[in-house]
Amino acid sequence: MKKGLKKEQSTTTASSKESILSSANTLRWEIGEHVHDSLIESIYADANQIASRAVTLPAGKPRFDFDKKLDTLITSRWFGFPLMFLLLAFVFWLTVEGANIPSALIASLLVDTIHPWLRSVFVLIGSPWWLTGVLVDGVWLAMAWVISVMLPPMAIFFPLFTLLEDFGYLPRGAFNMDSLFRRAGAHGKQSLSMTMGFGCNAAGVVATRIIDSPRERLIAIITNNFSLCNGRWPTQILIASIFFGTLAPPALAGFITAGAVVGVATLGIFFTLVVSWGLSRTLLKGEASSFSLELPPYRPPQLWQTLYTSLIDRTAIVLWRAIVFAAPAGAVIWLVSNIHIGTMSIAEHFINLSNPFGILLGLNGVIIIAYIIAIPANEIVIPTVLMMTVLSTKLSGIGSGAGVMFELNEATAVADVLRAGGWTMLTGLNLMLFSLLHNPCSTTIYTIYKETKSVKWTALATIIPTIMGIVICFLVAQIYRLLFV
Amino acid sequence: MIDPGKALILFGITAAVLTVLFIPKYGLFAQWKRARHGMNRALVEDALKHIYDYEYKNINCTTESIAGVLLISTDESAELLTRLSAMGLLITNDNGVKLTADGNSYALRIIRVHRLWERYLADETSVPPTEWHSSAELAEHTLSPAETETLAAQIGNPNFDPHGDPIPTPTGEMPPRKGHSLLSLKSGEFAIITHIEDEPEAVFAQLIAQGLYVGMQVRMIDRSNERVRFAADGEEIVLAPLLTNNLTVAPITEEEQRITAPLDSLASLKIGEEAHVLSISKAMRGQQRRRLMDLGVVPGTTIRAEMKSASGDPTAYAIRGATVALRRQHAAMIFIRK
Repeated sequence: MKKGLKKEQSTTTASSKESILSSANTLRWEIGEHVHDSLIESIYADANQIASRAVTLPAGKPRFDFDKKLDTLITSRWFGFPLMFLLLAFVFWLTVEGANIPSALIASLLVDTIHPWLRSVFVLIGSPWWLTGVLVDGVWLAMAWVISVMLPPMAIFFPLFTLLEDFGYLPRGAFNMDSLFRRAGAHGKQSLSMTMGFGCNAAGVVATRIIDSPRERLIAIITNNFSLCNGRWPTQILIASIFFGTLAPPALAGFITAGAVVGVATLGIFFTLVVSWGLSRTLLKGEASSFSLELPPYRPPQLWQTLYTSLIDRTAIVLWRAIVFAAPAGAVIWLVSNIHIGTMSIAEHFINLSNPFGILLGLNGVIIIAYIIAIPANEIVIPTVLMMTVLSTKLSGIGSGAGVMFELNEATAVADVLRAGGWTMLTGLNLMLFSLLHNPCSTTIYTIYKETKSVKWTALATIIPTIMGIVICFLVAQIYRLLFV
Repeated sequence: MIDPGKALILFGITAAVLTVLFIPKYGLFAQWKRARHGMNRALVEDALKHIYDYEYKNINCTTESIAGVLLISTDESAELLTRLSAMGLLITNDNGVKLTADGNSYALRIIRVHRLWERYLADETSVPPTEWHSSAELAEHTLSPAETETLAAQIGNPNFDPHGDPIPTPTGEMPPRKGHSLLSLKSGEFAIITHIEDEPEAVFAQLIAQGLYVGMQVRMIDRSNERVRFAADGEEIVLAPLLTNNLTVAPITEEEQRITAPLDSLASLKIGEEAHVLSISKAMRGQQRRRLMDLGVVPGTTIRAEMKSASGDPTAYAIRGATVALRRQHAAMIFIRK
């Protein structure tokens, strides 16, 4: 009997279900297209009603006077942009000047003191020469270089940037820059992730999280590599001082060098805008896009909290990843320089093999191999180039042997090594261009993948600058040779 | 070393060849992709869709009309029809052809995918309106039924496509055709655009360029054989009668909703001025629309223009206690009353 009742119940529910469904089906055509809009509107109406009954506001309190005055100044037609450039220039100056001393200190500690000491410990405990080579000369030195070049500027740049962000200046910067980026099909906030990229591209890619529109965020991620990162600044400065600074009388050398480096960085911004423009009109044309930019009220920055978060969130994480990637690169560099096939090491074979291609691009085989092995970190490009040049030209008395990266204190000494390796003005110029336009370092590639979760966009972000670098170096080389040789 | 002059010439040739091969739309690769897009299945499905469309509009469908729409010869069209009846999808009678029940449900399935895809493009992507139709023409033949239902669920089971056409339900239900041509309006009569026909493409592009969209209010001013003059959201528009054939309208009744003068937009608000939101233009879709509504830009919200950026655009507005910058192009689509 119980069973029968249940059955009856289920048939009645089935028929009533059907009638509900059918009336729903006829109704669905009548509610029209914009039912979602009406829903949101009614939610706001309800919330308004509740708030008007429950919340009392102090009578007519306007925005703070101070905020308003500051906003008028910061977004004014005449002072807005100069103020921004001055502020940025100050941040960069502080970073470069402030990083010099700690960088040298860390280098002398890790490279000049700990490295020989580690070596002697390894020898003392009787480790075989190749193990000492891979671990101490390869892995340790690569890590030491990355830390000493990367850590000090990051530890200065990121906190400064975070302070500006906390204070509320950065959204105003994006607000001012938006019309330029709008014309390139991008978001004003890309000016912030781009600037962050001058510190470190991986951090710049993470910083694109502030862009809430999917298309503009992808554009910002893919083009971040065109910002010259702090692993590449030293290369630019060194090469510019050797090949361009020496063109001018000594009094002007510093000026010319700085001009060349700023020129390359500006070229990077130019490429950022051009590639953004191209992407937004072709590959990313169909991606969803929206724009809104919230301008929060100004707040006094919280110094200690800022220091802590920017050191932990940005500096430490990026540094850790760089070390993780640089360590194996160090091992590879040592191994290819010390494993011999026939009479030559693998590195020398490769250098001879890639030399014609390198020359075609106005570079050489050493630079090609350095950029391939140094994908993990741009910081070790110059030490690798120096070591490999000495290795392949059999210079004696410079460096400390195959596979041991080194740097020279005097730019003139570096210049001698490079000239012995067959470098010309063209090689220097193209190295600067190629340093700007090549694949992002592996830390950045990995970060791009983590942020986009897409192999396609990661591959694109890697391939676009590489192809641009090859094409532009090629064209510059041919034109230079037609004109000057 | 290769002679630099020769190298440059070689580079030029390679670049030219790559351009010819891969340039979007016109390149050989794009053409190949289009040509590959299935001859047989696509043809059958397009024919079914066309026959269904004509039946829906009560027009007789003939071998010639199919040949005309599918851009094939009459012979090929006759052959196609024979194949379709052999498949049991249609029957031929004195007045032309008629879909069977199977043919009907097949056609509805294709139309469902087509219109869902257009809705998806309109709401979730930045693909411009003029490309919705051509993209959906490809998608309708490639999406599987399972993929279609996933897509429908993802975009909230919409009822209408962005042109105002109803989307058939999975079980193949469609409401009867409603509304009439814009030309049927008398002078001074008010109506809402319920549908903008997306074919032919050139006509659709022209209507979109005029700023017309589904949900827009129109008022007939006058019409002659050469031109039709009407107000759309209060702004006067003049079109050739041929173009207005593509517009379907439904009358409105409520007195208060009538728009008689051009609407002010948020973009016209000067710094320091305040206004109430009337509505967000239906031409603003997808993410941008949702974002604005999330920020609280709904009818009745008070908005004050706060400041302009150093370059003049965007402008920051005070909306419900927050300061939010909007670009001019978006502010122009928010209607206000000062």
